[in-house]
Amino acid sequence: MMLLALAIPWFGGIVVALLDGRKRRTGLVAIAVLAASFIASIVNGIAIYRHGAQEMVAGGWEAGVGITLRLDTLGVAFTVLSLGVLLAALAFEVANGVQTRVFPALVLLMATGLTGLFLTGDAFNFYVFFEISMIAAYVMTSYGGQPRQLRASFIFAVVNLIGSVLFVIGIAAVYHITGRLDMAGIRDQMPLVSTSPAILTATIIFVAFSIKLGLFPFHFWLPPVYTGTTPAVAAILSGALANIGTYGILRFGGDLFPRELARGGNVLLILGSLSIVYGALQAISRGSAGEVLAYSAIGQVGYILIAIGIGGRAGFVAAILYAIINSLNKTALFFAMNLRGWIVSAAFAIGAFSVAGVPPALGFFAKLALFRLGANERDWWVVALVFIGGAMSFIYMFQLYGWRFLKPADGDETPTPLVAQLITGAVALALVALGVWPEPLLALSQHAASVLPGVAP
Amino acid sequence: MILILSLAVAVLFGAGAYLLLKHDLLRVIAGVVLIGNAANLFIMSAALTRGAAPLYPLEDPRTTSDPLVQAMTLTAIVISFGVSALLLGLIYLVYVAHLSVDMEQLSSAEEEQAGVDDELAAAALMPVDGDEDEAVAIAMSEHSE
Amino acid sequence: MSTAMTQHVARLLLLPIFMIAIAVIVKGYADTGDGFAAGVIAALGVLLQYLAFGHEAAERMRIVRYAPLGALLGLIVALLVAFVPMLFGKPVLTHTPGVGEHAVHFGTLEFITPALFDIGVFLVVYGFAVGAIGAIARSYEGEGPR
Repeated sequence: MMLLALAIPWFGGIVVALLDGRKRRTGLVAIAVLAASFIASIVNGIAIYRHGAQEMVAGGWEAGVGITLRLDTLGVAFTVLSLGVLLAALAFEVANGVQTRVFPALVLLMATGLTGLFLTGDAFNFYVFFEISMIAAYVMTSYGGQPRQLRASFIFAVVNLIGSVLFVIGIAAVYHITGRLDMAGIRDQMPLVSTSPAILTATIIFVAFSIKLGLFPFHFWLPPVYTGTTPAVAAILSGALANIGTYGILRFGGDLFPRELARGGNVLLILGSLSIVYGALQAISRGSAGEVLAYSAIGQVGYILIAIGIGGRAGFVAAILYAIINSLNKTALFFAMNLRGWIVSAAFAIGAFSVAGVPPALGFFAKLALFRLGANERDWWVVALVFIGGAMSFIYMFQLYGWRFLKPADGDETPTPLVAQLITGAVALALVALGVWPEPLLALSQHAASVLPGVAP
Repeated sequence: MILILSLAVAVLFGAGAYLLLKHDLLRVIAGVVLIGNAANLFIMSAALTRGAAPLYPLEDPRTTSDPLVQAMTLTAIVISFGVSALLLGLIYLVYVAHLSVDMEQLSSAEEEQAGVDDELAAAALMPVDGDEDEAVAIAMSEHSE
Repeated sequence: MSTAMTQHVARLLLLPIFMIAIAVIVKGYADTGDGFAAGVIAALGVLLQYLAFGHEAAERMRIVRYAPLGALLGLIVALLVAFVPMLFGKPVLTHTPGVGEHAVHFGTLEFITPALFDIGVFLVVYGFAVGAIGAIARSYEGEGPR
């Protein structure tokens, strides 16, 4: 049962790859497959909530010999989130009309890669699934067919490939210093490793994930790619694929290298703050919707990094909560970016409120968690940063809102399909509903953070 | 042995990084491939033991070298093989669209095109380069089969 | 540079190359060899055909035309081997018969599920490599995509 969420999109992806994705029927089949996988992962989540984490070693080998697959709350939370975003993006694109025949299959294969990555308990297997989803992303960014976007997608592929190479070097280094590849084994061995190789290895892995996240000094690939692709692909990249970075830093930093994370906490705080300020300043000064949202994405991951940098139970809870909320925000905003209509306009406003952290939108709780974190730790500059960052995001989001929706319509734009509007509205509605009734989400992030060692359940 | 390997990794990585900075996209790909191979060598070196035989023939399990790194390297090679094929395909699309694989020429062509796009958008005319778009869309769909 | 000589040699070598590829899979259970290496060897044989006859003639061959389909089929076979044991409540990738259990022999050939998995890998690698060779060959000859 436990791998159903992985098996369904994998088989489905192969079958859909044979069909012509431009046909509506293929799109509907792909949506059905992804929905089945989404439901399977929710069922998994309920099972874990009732009976605790599940573990399985492939091939019936002993633990530490075979590849371990592990289902825990942290992994399942990110699986459900990523599959949900992918499902919404696929439905959105099918409603708008898919332009290339491979797009539905690519979404399914990316779902496979992401599910596998969040489920695996083996460092090298993590890399393999990571590459499956990245390869799907490389092809996806060239989707849309504009000749001048090809260069952006080429840069994306090359930069992220360097990130992958760094990551695999990091894994090899972990294997060298601990002699283990399974995460449980690494966790046991890491405290015995002397400081400098451990720090070096942790740094390499951190840089690899920062490239995926588009954190401040490694962000340069991000804006041209986000502005170049279609809204659905941009939503997938920022809502689903960027989760790899957050999950990776949480899993490798919080779970496997807690000692090194504690030592490097200040670096994370500095990089996070720089990301927030840089992203917000750039977003205010930019003119096009895509660019504003891209720089906003750079700024938002800064908050997640700050929460991880502060660390401890409250820090990890805040980071998970912020990651989930940020994915939903970005999905709603990118969907609403190029559409017209009152539903979309309302959805964009909700997304903007959520990014700025204004109740009743869900983003309020993300900002609140960080606020509390800063106040508890007596880090007043974190509180100030969250406040200033929130104010700046309020400015740029409503600048953007003004350009996009308060202008009278030109009249020559193509009418937006109603289904696409409804999907955008549904994501926004989820933001409000969870904002009004946030307890399940708060409980989920509490539970997910309890997976990380040093954090009592 | 460690020294030779680390020198080889360093040279491969350095040469790859140098090629990455070139304008010619084909050289960039060559750089990516070299860096990937540097990583593969690094994985091999992660479990290097002096004088131990490889896994087969299995005589005394204590003196065999670690087979796991070889399996890992093989996986990494397969992945980089697939990715370099993908990048070559992408370059081909770039070439079809711009008839050039030089980064500088591409960016100037893009600026020109962006300028044209803006002018046309201002005049509310039809989108430019319809044929080219279509060619790329077809190329992409066929290629990614 | 395609002369009658190279064409003859290419045609002559195709069958032995495939035989070697199959031998590498079969030998993999007693000696060095596996589906990946076999797939690469077989794809090299196809590359030789491309060099000797040009891509149009090469693509008329059945082993080339159905290669991409074979890759998808191979992926399904490999995934089935991986996931079917789960239907019987066993961990993913459990192989039957297990280590040390009795397997049906045919000469030195053993009928075990890892062999099936390897055949799947062979099809994937072969199909992918032939597809990549075809794509590059078409663009090299300046004819654009199909």
